[in-house]
Amino acid sequence: MAIDAGSPAIRARQIGVEEGLRVVELFIGPQHPASGHMRLVVYLDGDVVVKVDPDIGWVHRTMEKLAETREYVKTIPIFERMTIIDSCNITLALVQAYEALLGVEPPPRARYLRTILCELNRIASHLYGLGIGGIFLNHSTMYMWAFGDREVFLTLAEMLTGARLTHTYVVPGGVRRDLPQGFTDAFAKAKRYMLRRLKEYDKIFLRNPVVRSRLEGVGVLERAKAKSLGVVGPNLRASGVRYDARMLGYAAYGELEFEPVVGEYGDSLERIWVRLKEIETSLDLIEQALRQLPEGPVMAERYLKMLPPALRKLVESTGRVKLPAAYVNLRPPPGEALSRAEAGRGEIVYYVVSDGTDKPYRVRVVSPSFRNAVLFMVLPVGHRFMDLPAIYASLDYFPPEADR
Amino acid sequence: MSAVGEAERRRAPNPVRAHLEAIAAALSRALKPPMTLMYPDVVEELPEGYRGVIAYRYERCVGCGLCARICPARAIKMYKVPGDKRMRPGYDMTRCIFCGFCVDVCPVNALEHTKIHDKAYYELDSMVLDPVEWAEFSRRLIEEQSARSRSPNLVRAVFDEEVGLRYERLRRS
Repeated sequence: MAIDAGSPAIRARQIGVEEGLRVVELFIGPQHPASGHMRLVVYLDGDVVVKVDPDIGWVHRTMEKLAETREYVKTIPIFERMTIIDSCNITLALVQAYEALLGVEPPPRARYLRTILCELNRIASHLYGLGIGGIFLNHSTMYMWAFGDREVFLTLAEMLTGARLTHTYVVPGGVRRDLPQGFTDAFAKAKRYMLRRLKEYDKIFLRNPVVRSRLEGVGVLERAKAKSLGVVGPNLRASGVRYDARMLGYAAYGELEFEPVVGEYGDSLERIWVRLKEIETSLDLIEQALRQLPEGPVMAERYLKMLPPALRKLVESTGRVKLPAAYVNLRPPPGEALSRAEAGRGEIVYYVVSDGTDKPYRVRVVSPSFRNAVLFMVLPVGHRFMDLPAIYASLDYFPPEADR
Repeated sequence: MSAVGEAERRRAPNPVRAHLEAIAAALSRALKPPMTLMYPDVVEELPEGYRGVIAYRYERCVGCGLCARICPARAIKMYKVPGDKRMRPGYDMTRCIFCGFCVDVCPVNALEHTKIHDKAYYELDSMVLDPVEWAEFSRRLIEEQSARSRSPNLVRAVFDEEVGLRYERLRRS
């Protein structure tokens, strides 16, 4: 193709050369370069990345401030929209903080159901990341496959909660629905299907020479550096650090056999490998949880006994929780609570302060993507420009989560 | 069982063999039926308890206003209805996020989820309903729901070990 000497790009380059500049600034985004609106300002010397400036905040929705103006139960759907593809994991820590403030314990069955939905979310979220990663490397098949297989787990979540993505399933005191009939069988089939698919993913993606040449040895994050930067989640574990917030044993994780997936090499290939391996771990965790699922109510007795007898009977017969009128304005005593949980992209931390009114005084959230955003400044430097999408693909960064 | 074996995951695969395996994997999948839902040519049978557009039964309502108080999106507001002593809830479908808190908090089960989530309108205003309109709209919605469940193009998602999800036709045409 003939290059038009008068085109703006060529003119800009000429002006740059005349001015004696070597480094070219390249703006990527902010219109949805991948998983959400964000901008990367890349400084290039020829084809080599000199510096990357992640310009985040394009999807900031003032969630923390909004939460101060809403009653406790109403803040759950707000924070859910931080990572809509991982909504149970994201709200679980918040609800745990509220429960600590209210002094209410979820019944055992509710804790197991929370674990089941969290792991379903984690699988769906990892598949989403994998699909986005595939399209970054121009591997459309991986994109289609991962998004198709994600639908299996979204359908399972829909069976359990009634909604594909915004489940709003975990509420203070328990969960909103009991396990539906046929869920265990449906999951057993989905599990066998997914294990089979993971082998195919291997062939078409992870052991595909084209993909490997893009990922292997690219964006290596050393163990010590990963720790000092405060990276979380699969990106941290791929560098060989055995840290997973699920080891705290919240929900039912303390009662299930669980070993975090830890990588070794810390490059892009390893990060994607850790995610694929975590899908397997999650499938195993759900199976364990379904096998050990205790009998009993799914909502704390404190709220159930506020219901009139007719409604209590309805809850028992349908397995769908009715909320008492007092639930509208929960009033925790003054105090503060800190809660952590492992979301799909890493550890999420909530710090909630209550002043005794029906609205939180302050909700502070530190989200995993926000803690991982620093990697954009560190990893691509010194690499070729086309390694940047490969690195982005392996980080599984989700801008709405970082921006809150 | 594992996606890639521990030891071999870092060993560079034989390029010719790995390429052929990748192509073979794609081809073997191409022979299997896709898991595409042919919307809107088919109607999906949604699971029991699906959280769709909310239907309101005026005659059951006691006008307590809990639904309006718990609504996180402020989609439900209380209205004065001429000739009625109590305030009644109205519904703004443009705001509703289908969380279903109102359905769960309603003490007399006057609110319920329908399995309908795909409605389209020409005007924004026609999506904001006062109590009487909402009750009327709900009646039509429930009729539409039962009409959909009788549709000849009804399909159901079935979990399958081979293809993940299969959309099975419930009626032969």
